[in-house]
Amino acid sequence: MKKEKWFKPMFEFDDDVPKQKSSKGEETFVNTNSKANQVLDSTSKTCSIVIKDHKNWIKSFEPVTVEDLAVNNKKIQEVDEWIKSVCNKNNGDMLLLTGPVGCGKTITIKVLAAKHKVRVTEWITPLDIDIPSENGEYEYKQKQSLKFLDFILNAANFTSLLDDNSRKLVLVEDFPNTFIRTPSEFTDVLHQYKFRAKSPIIFICSESHMDGKNTSANLFTPGLKEQFSIQHIMFNSVAPTNLKSALKRVAAIINQKHKLIYNTPTTDVVDCVVNSSVGDVRSAVLNLHFACLKGGSKQNMDTSIVLEKETKGKGNKKKKQSSSKFMALGKDQTVSILHGVGRVLNPKVIDAENGKKKFTHSPEAIIEQFISQPSSFINFLEENYLPHFACIDHVENATSALSDADFMLAEWREKSCQEHGLYIAVAGLMLANKSPVSAWNPVRGPKNMRIQYPSVRELQLEENNLYKGKVLVVDYQTYCKIIGKESGT
Amino acid sequence: MSLWVDKHRPRDLMKLDFHKDQAVRLKSLVQQSDFPHLLVYGPSGAGKKTRIMCLLRELYGSGVERLRQETMTFTTPSNKKVEIMTVSSNYHIEVNPTDVGIYDRVVIMDLVKNVAQTHQIDSSGQKEFKVVILNEVDDLTKDAQHALRRTMEKYVATCRLILIANSISRVIPAIRSRCLTIRVPAPTENEIASVLQLVCKKECLNLPPELALRIAKAADRNLRRALLMCEACKVQQYPFTPDQKIPEPDWQQFIRETANIILSEQSPKKLSEVRQKLYELIIHGVPPDMIFSGLLKELVRNCDMAMKCQVASHAASYEHRMRLGNKPIFHLEAFVAKFMSIYKKFVEESLGDAF
Repeated sequence: MKKEKWFKPMFEFDDDVPKQKSSKGEETFVNTNSKANQVLDSTSKTCSIVIKDHKNWIKSFEPVTVEDLAVNNKKIQEVDEWIKSVCNKNNGDMLLLTGPVGCGKTITIKVLAAKHKVRVTEWITPLDIDIPSENGEYEYKQKQSLKFLDFILNAANFTSLLDDNSRKLVLVEDFPNTFIRTPSEFTDVLHQYKFRAKSPIIFICSESHMDGKNTSANLFTPGLKEQFSIQHIMFNSVAPTNLKSALKRVAAIINQKHKLIYNTPTTDVVDCVVNSSVGDVRSAVLNLHFACLKGGSKQNMDTSIVLEKETKGKGNKKKKQSSSKFMALGKDQTVSILHGVGRVLNPKVIDAENGKKKFTHSPEAIIEQFISQPSSFINFLEENYLPHFACIDHVENATSALSDADFMLAEWREKSCQEHGLYIAVAGLMLANKSPVSAWNPVRGPKNMRIQYPSVRELQLEENNLYKGKVLVVDYQTYCKIIGKESGT
Repeated sequence: MSLWVDKHRPRDLMKLDFHKDQAVRLKSLVQQSDFPHLLVYGPSGAGKKTRIMCLLRELYGSGVERLRQETMTFTTPSNKKVEIMTVSSNYHIEVNPTDVGIYDRVVIMDLVKNVAQTHQIDSSGQKEFKVVILNEVDDLTKDAQHALRRTMEKYVATCRLILIANSISRVIPAIRSRCLTIRVPAPTENEIASVLQLVCKKECLNLPPELALRIAKAADRNLRRALLMCEACKVQQYPFTPDQKIPEPDWQQFIRETANIILSEQSPKKLSEVRQKLYELIIHGVPPDMIFSGLLKELVRNCDMAMKCQVASHAASYEHRMRLGNKPIFHLEAFVAKFMSIYKKFVEESLGDAF
């Protein structure tokens, strides 16, 4: 109790936080917080351990050596070679790392830098909120891009007084907003850097395939990359086997250090987590944490029961259909439109427990994936469904479902109409196809149905012809050809 | 190239060849120097636009015939720029709002506003209002039609609207009630034949009356098509003979071929072949409702009475859905599949009876 420090640091950098915290203080804290739960002393003790440990719990799982990284070996090698080749040159060399979220870009750099004893300085965009000074004036502020340039140049050229390491590396993961608005400023900054800096710089961009606001694509245009000879290394999302071995490592650490909070994860749970996190290491670790939490203490009873149920439910499900990939523990699995089309057009029926039959992929699950773009999904279905049908009677049911769906989708003001329309199309197609043809059919995109009317000039009519469009097609076209041919010869 | 249809188009209300009684009324309508908004409707090739042009000429003099083409640009609320071709004279402007698809509302609102806000500069002896002609009003979206209703009321002082439609069943009642509706029925076959005779006389040609009647029949009471057919006949063979071949619009032939494919075999594979044909028709601008009726006409020829009734009822329901829906191909295909299924059963049954 008396061992409490007189000064409580605001920012704790070290991993080993002073173990001896005022346990009493902790207790009272817990007590007030969970009065309703009627905490017992014994449980609150475990609780205090949780609080002590959880601060940096994800950090304790971070890979330490290169072998621990879950990233593809080839990619690690590429980055490794780059760092090796560049570190001794004292140039402003540049590297761009891109890849989906949680594929281990940042950690790869950190681990490799530690290996080569390179000091990494990272830019983090400061908050710039204008706070008026005492006499109500606003402080003069430097331009964001200038600040950024100053920082990276200083980081690149000057060694910290506190360590004698001469090898440095600048890391930029957090791009100032101004560059996203005006990419030309970024080009200027890079120019300056190239001329004045004496250390390599690494840019890291997470990219998502979906949105147009992709930093790496917007800022690092091919022209820019060539101009500054930026090397570009692209990471892929982590392969399941790598992810599994990484999680095994995490499980081992849990076994050693954190027995109090976690149950030791079984291989089943690990599999489940691997499947649910779609190649994202960070979320996999988080999910594992969630799945392994001990629900023993009385104080956490309510949530822990739910947790247990959830994990159990997932586990059971897993056993039932071990072939199916997704077990949404954390992330929703995204299904590409081509996958979705395949699932609808090749419906697989399995026997359910109660003697009834059901689809492996239920129509509800499929429409849930495509509810945001019903009409484009239906267009895909329409374009591709025919080769999968064997009998015209089945086709008849399918087309009538599609026709209904189109009719429903036309009512765009009503959200539920869109959903029902999609449901009719999907369920209709799946149910209508009683004997699916299993053959390889490449999926085609929907046809562009832009109508091309003949121009007045094409038909050799006068410019100010009274009619356009439909009338030209329906009445004029044929006869203009006949008459025009004659008058031409 | 000056076609007979364009060359011999009547320019004066009094020189029209049929519906003369209506022409007199129209003339007296504009003699009062003002008229309400008009909604002119009738089947294609009945002379709607000819009458409107005559009316405008009566109103403004020959100045309306000096036409120019302009491309106008409008900005939609979502900041998308849409372009549309307009044909205009000093006194009127004509557009086809359905050219821009779902953005027709913007075009209607902005265009009418533009026109209505500029007054006639030279109002001496001229009318105080301009005329806006909107084509294919029945194909406008509901939104556009509602927008039209508002604009019609707002700018009635400076502009008059003339709306052209094939059928008023798809024009909202609010618009119907704000306009003087004028129906221009299709001319009878005899009327068409007599117009053909007249034109041929002007061209110093001799047209046998039998051929004239045959052309009138083949043209489906569409005078424009009849005149084009007649000229094409003349190009192919002159002097005319009463039983010479009358060229048919190529899309009709195309539809017939498509119908034959449907009748030849009823399988998903054939259906995909048919779908390609339907795509082609739609992309080339043949209106889906004409494809529908063409197909139906060809298909029911091979059906017995009970089946005819069944097929026609399905065709009607799918055509109705096509009107309400977005993608005509869905409904055309659904109809074809339905027919194939019915027809296949029919053939199998009759084969079973034979043995």
